[in-house]
Amino acid sequence: MELSAYAQGGCRLLGDPRRLSRRAYAALLRAAFRGVLQPRGGVADPELSDVDPAVLKQCHAAAAACILEAGRQRADRAALSACLEECKLDRERIEQFCTEYQKHREALEELLGSIGRAPPHVTDVSWHLAYRIQTHELHRAYQPTYLLTLSTENSDAGSQPDLSFSCTMEQLQFQRTTLLYSRKTDLVGKLKDAAKSLERATQL
Amino acid sequence: MLLVLSEEQKAHLGCLPRVGGAGLALSESWGTWRWSCCGAARRLRPVRRLPVRGKLNAGVDTVQHGVEGLMYLLTESSKLMISEMDFQDSIHVLGFSDELNKLLLQLYLDNRKEIRSILGELAPKLPSYHSLEWRLDVQLASRSLRQQIKPAVTMKLHLNDNEDLTTQVLQTDPSTLLHLIQQLEQALGEMKTNHCRRIARNMK
Repeated sequence: MELSAYAQGGCRLLGDPRRLSRRAYAALLRAAFRGVLQPRGGVADPELSDVDPAVLKQCHAAAAACILEAGRQRADRAALSACLEECKLDRERIEQFCTEYQKHREALEELLGSIGRAPPHVTDVSWHLAYRIQTHELHRAYQPTYLLTLSTENSDAGSQPDLSFSCTMEQLQFQRTTLLYSRKTDLVGKLKDAAKSLERATQL
Repeated sequence: MLLVLSEEQKAHLGCLPRVGGAGLALSESWGTWRWSCCGAARRLRPVRRLPVRGKLNAGVDTVQHGVEGLMYLLTESSKLMISEMDFQDSIHVLGFSDELNKLLLQLYLDNRKEIRSILGELAPKLPSYHSLEWRLDVQLASRSLRQQIKPAVTMKLHLNDNEDLTTQVLQTDPSTLLHLIQQLEQALGEMKTNHCRRIARNMK
């Protein structure tokens, strides 16, 4: 785990009891994790009011960099404490850092894993079933018709419009007996194929 | 249900006995061709270009009107799905010979299915399902998070939107995939419930 020179400098300040009291250190650690995981929350904490703003800024940046780098590398406790030891933090402060890290590790990995581009993620499908009776061009056009709406979400672009389309019963799932040798095109059949392959893949 | 023809339409159809059965057969062969090609627009190409005109021994306008009248007769009858008996009664007012009436009836019965299927395509349409391709991936790492194991199903959904094929690339996770299948199977099952079957039966 490697940190930039600026972050290393900040970490050394983190371990300096003259710059940062024990209580201020604990408050700063909480603020740093909060800042990474819930970026909208502020850093303000009464415990930190006595700290020199320039020191506070560098310490906070260093703690955040350390948290993010550890999360990115999926560093374990040993790797993280080794890195902090290099920056001359004492046992107690290292222990505190590692405990906070373990506590937030899962949320941190989830957050980091969601960064980056990916196609819109389908989260749900809603459907309604209608029975077509007649159109302007054709009377007695009896046919069941499905309208499917796929709900999607996108990690960077925020909300994504839902995707709606219609589908006949045969397109949703056709009777295998009549089309024994032709390629499957029905939606449910294809999704089931994918699910089957997925199941096989997980057994490997 | 009887088909009501306007005086103008009757006059247009009046040329049929003059061009005779041979003309009718020829009209049929390119009439149906025309339905398939121009069905959506229901527009006639100028009759001048048609090779049959010379054989019909009639003026351009007469042939064109005759064919238009015939197309109206067959399209409307097919649209309303009128019975054999009602069709015969509807054309009775034209005062044609029994032989010609029989020919017209046969023309109607022979082509009704195809005409209905073409008319069925003219229903107002939402984007409709065409096909689906899928791919199974496992994300192993990204810039912001190393050492991941994140299975993903990438899907390419082909939709038919007013004759244009459009594609959408989507992604989902294994548990959502199973949820999608389950929801769609419920949708399929719904058509088999007593409620839906009763409605469908009573409509027919």
